Amino acid sequence: MKKTSLTIVSLILMMSMLLAACGNNGGSNNTNGGASSTPSETTEPSKAPEAVNLRVFSTFGGTDAAREAFQKAIDDFTAANPHIKVENDVMSANDDGFRTKVNTDMTSGNEPDLLFYFVGADAAEIINSGKVVALDEELAADAEWKNGFAPAALDFTKHTDGKTYAIPLTGFFEGLMVNKKIFADNGIELPTDWDKFKAAVSALKAKGIIPLSGPFDQSHYLIEHFVLAAAGAEGQAKALKDGVDPNWEKGLAAMKEVYDLGAFPEDAATIDLGMAANYYSQGLAGMILEGSWAIGGFSDDVKANTTVLPFPAIPGGAGTGKDVVGGFGTGFYMSKAAYDDAAKKDATLALLKHLTSPESIKSIATANGGTPAAAGVQPEGLPQAVLDGFAMVSEATSVNSPIDSKVTPETFNTIRANIQPVVTGKKTPAEALEEAKAIETAAK
Amino acid sequence: MMKGDRKYIVLFLLPAAAFLSIFLYYPFFKSMYLSFFRTKGFTTKTWVGFENYVRMFSDDLLGAATLNTLELMAYVIIFQVGIALMLAIFVDNITWGKGFFRMVFFFPVVISGTAIALLFVLFYNFQFGLLNTLLQNMGFDKVNWLSENMALKAVAIPTVWHYVGFYFVLFLTAMSKIPSDFYEAAKLEGITGIKKTFLLTIPLIMSDIKVVITLAITGTLKVFEFIFVLTRGQNDTEVLGTYMYKKALVDQNFGYGSTIAIYIVVFGVLLSLLANRLLKRDEISY
Repeated sequence: MKKTSLTIVSLILMMSMLLAACGNNGGSNNTNGGASSTPSETTEPSKAPEAVNLRVFSTFGGTDAAREAFQKAIDDFTAANPHIKVENDVMSANDDGFRTKVNTDMTSGNEPDLLFYFVGADAAEIINSGKVVALDEELAADAEWKNGFAPAALDFTKHTDGKTYAIPLTGFFEGLMVNKKIFADNGIELPTDWDKFKAAVSALKAKGIIPLSGPFDQSHYLIEHFVLAAAGAEGQAKALKDGVDPNWEKGLAAMKEVYDLGAFPEDAATIDLGMAANYYSQGLAGMILEGSWAIGGFSDDVKANTTVLPFPAIPGGAGTGKDVVGGFGTGFYMSKAAYDDAAKKDATLALLKHLTSPESIKSIATANGGTPAAAGVQPEGLPQAVLDGFAMVSEATSVNSPIDSKVTPETFNTIRANIQPVVTGKKTPAEALEEAKAIETAAK
Repeated sequence: MMKGDRKYIVLFLLPAAAFLSIFLYYPFFKSMYLSFFRTKGFTTKTWVGFENYVRMFSDDLLGAATLNTLELMAYVIIFQVGIALMLAIFVDNITWGKGFFRMVFFFPVVISGTAIALLFVLFYNFQFGLLNTLLQNMGFDKVNWLSENMALKAVAIPTVWHYVGFYFVLFLTAMSKIPSDFYEAAKLEGITGIKKTFLLTIPLIMSDIKVVITLAITGTLKVFEFIFVLTRGQNDTEVLGTYMYKKALVDQNFGYGSTIAIYIVVFGVLLSLLANRLLKRDEISY
């Protein structure tokens, strides 16, 4: 717990510093933050460098808000290193097939040189099978690179063996996104505690507004927040290791309670996350549980009226009402194949350092509203909702990685599959969680 | 056939047999092999014997997926085959415009299933779908077309629509093979119109109807994209294909996913045999 506290304190301090910087209009014009790590022009080599082709696999494609910033970072790198070609292989992280593609590539000899992927349980297989390398030595050997990161960010992406395999880029927060205009126009108090939340649900429902836009099949955020609000940081972190925590049951029971009040869309069972966000974006819903990356996709009008609140604590549980899901859940892994390849190793490391330099981190964080992993970096032009989210995190009593990074995919998907039976009363929360517990036990 | 030709025939058959072995039988036997393991990710396997099969027999979700697949199969046989047959009979009896109707009815077959499914998302959406917009404009309340009691039927509609055209063309082709002198003789006997259809046309293409029904049965076992895009398996619409996908790839439990795959193969073969048995009948040759 001591280490976790230090991590949280570090993260909170970093957030506070960031907020102070953002709020200081008279601040320095120096936008470089830490020392520059842009690759410097090398002296003319006596012999042309050998041509290298690198492949980067990431989620910065399609409709991702940071797609252009990421591609530009790669283009800048290849402009400075003409002998290196970089293939930017992308796929949306919302797609369940994303994990499959990564696992397939990593285990069939088709590793990308750099892989942008989740930390935690999702990466356990590729780490345990030795497909990616620990980068602690490389960090230690390059103080400029290492010191460019906020320590909390590096701590968050450490694997359970204490080593750093993933280098963070931007982090995230999840929270209750509230359309203040809808609340104000209808004379409803913001949901800053459980009773106000339930009152808001009932009042919005009576007005024909969707209270909380959320899907049941892709119920990741619903599960994350209801469980955390009931179990608190410690109860959530235990996952299902010591049996089923009664507070987890309270979380699912609370979900049913608000379902009975009419919290969810009529078609919650069959919509996906994209459609749920669309409802909120069109002003059809007063609230949504989403992540920081979703804010950029909201319509301008709704974005301007959105604030972010922590999900309220559920009575009788261990939540504080200021427990937040967030942190740094993704990072760049370097494949062992690239590390062991003399022709590729230096080029891959150079690309990795460039992509995770303060400049690159800033441009990507500005584009997608993510929390910069680099120390002292100040993204510009962020929507007020993102700043509210940063404030929420800085005031949080705990910042927690999501449940699905702590249990096996099948365990978490068993909980997902049981959300609709639980809220409609076909199963009790205890039955649903026992089922997930059985899967978790069988998988170990 | 001359005596020496046999070795050349075998030589030409070998590539096709090799192709089938590599892409059909090898994956099947690999699935059978994996069904005896519990996997963690792609590289860790633990032998568990028949544990996956024991789990399968007590898996309520697999039972529900089986029943949903059968229900969908019933809709497909009744409506997909039925509508295709009806359309083929109509088109066969018109004197002009056959080419036009063939093209129009066949067109949905060439649209990808996923594209059709996405189109129907816009039809069925509760908040702003086409159907509910029309209802509201007429003063009615919105309907949740993908609700628990309606979702599978709602999904069946684009599923049926997708392949009606394919079976329509098969039937039309079958009808065109019937010698015209059969119809001339029938006309002399006073058999015309609907009576002609039931006494002559349908019996003569019965073997083709059997083929189409078998194709419809095996095709239903592969239905995936309509469920996946429209309902994600929620509201009691999970079918064998989507359930197998979830277990194998979303849960990354390849052992159990492979077990379900074996179940689908066995189930499909049994259904085909049963269908052939039930449809067995003296065929009229001409």
